[in-house]
Amino acid sequence: MDSEEKTRRRLRVRWPRLYRWMLAEIEREIEIHPGYADLQNQFGLFLMGGGELKKAENHFREALRLNPKYREAALHLGFLYVETERWKEAEKIFLLEVRRHPKDGFFRHALGILYLQTGRLKEAAAQIQKAIQVHSYYRDHYRKKGVWQGGMVHLNQETKGVLRRIHLNQHDAQFCNFVGLYLARKGKSKQAVQELRKAARLKPDEFIFHANLGTVYAYQGVYPKAIREFQKALKIDPSYGMGYANLSFVYGLMCRTREALRCMKKAVRMNPQYADLRYNLALLYSDRKRYEEAAFELKKALRINPGYLLARINLGVLYEDRGRWKEARREYRKILQITPKDEHIRRRLERIS
Amino acid sequence: MLKEDFVIQSNVRQILIRSNIDYSRITFGTVKGVVYLRGIFKSAFHHTDGSIESAADFTIKSLQSLEKKIKGIPGVIDIEFELTNWTKAGGQWIPKKKQEDG
Repeated sequence: MDSEEKTRRRLRVRWPRLYRWMLAEIEREIEIHPGYADLQNQFGLFLMGGGELKKAENHFREALRLNPKYREAALHLGFLYVETERWKEAEKIFLLEVRRHPKDGFFRHALGILYLQTGRLKEAAAQIQKAIQVHSYYRDHYRKKGVWQGGMVHLNQETKGVLRRIHLNQHDAQFCNFVGLYLARKGKSKQAVQELRKAARLKPDEFIFHANLGTVYAYQGVYPKAIREFQKALKIDPSYGMGYANLSFVYGLMCRTREALRCMKKAVRMNPQYADLRYNLALLYSDRKRYEEAAFELKKALRINPGYLLARINLGVLYEDRGRWKEARREYRKILQITPKDEHIRRRLERIS
Repeated sequence: MLKEDFVIQSNVRQILIRSNIDYSRITFGTVKGVVYLRGIFKSAFHHTDGSIESAADFTIKSLQSLEKKIKGIPGVIDIEFELTNWTKAGGQWIPKKKQEDG
């Protein structure tokens, strides 16, 4: 069985018709935007998932030509070479990426697998050890799999299989994630959930799979599951600021505004330059009659984006309600300077003039 | 009971995400139960035969549907549309001239 057939069998594309349709869609997008490295990488991944390795290679290479520092494309191309046993080419890619990202354990891990496959056990052990040093995740993972015991790397036939599975899972998970996202974009949220769940199962430490799953659950209206997935994503990557914003919106949909406020505050703290989050935080404060804090956030939003008319409307109404007519008029006039035909604001201004 | 603005805002957001509207061109906000929608109204896709008339019909139906859904959110008092390419006059949606059509 050749490597293309092996890949095809392993991935067992669940919906062949849909898969072909998605390929055609991405191909069309590439025709429109041939210079998008993301699309080239995505197309390569889809082709690789379908076992079309030669074509996939060309698209990964194109992605890297367009963006030579594209980590994911390098990773996919490297693994394609591993799959096709083109060890030297794979090694060249992984070594380059290790130099570029010395703290990225996954490329060390990839090198470890490569050396293991080619019988270079000493070098394999050294790379695995380095992967453990740069990222604690690998220590726990290798320990669970029996590769790391008593402060030493243990390599035998069994652990060789385990390590190989990790890199296959990495690729398969990325593939499922892309398929899931594509299905979600096309409104096929039930199938999207299946794919994204598979991605998260294959690589449970990848925050973005949980974040995407949370987004699709929220879209479906399955809010408790959406919350659980966003929380998982945040546990893996606490710096995922938009995760808090997404959580806040879900709590909002459930009318749980106390939790929504807590999360939105964190989202703003982590994304202080995102005017829209400040706007939403202002709404939460205003709902709780914390008007000074609401005004503060709206002013901040306007400092970030002076053309943010909705923030200005809220600020004007807030001043109006507090009897601060002069300030309210000032905000309404500013809005009318930008949109002079806004009858609603004109009426508001006339009422307090 | 008056619903909180943030709850309304989250619901409007959800409606836009679930709709066939290109919501990246629309900004929206909520002030004391009044929902504001501004920007360019454009469908993300058309279920039409490709003619200008049927595309406009489809957009009008999308606008009516959006309006109905937002009005259905508990606590929403009114909707203020300030779209650059569509306007409502005498209860009818009409495209604005010399603007990007929907």
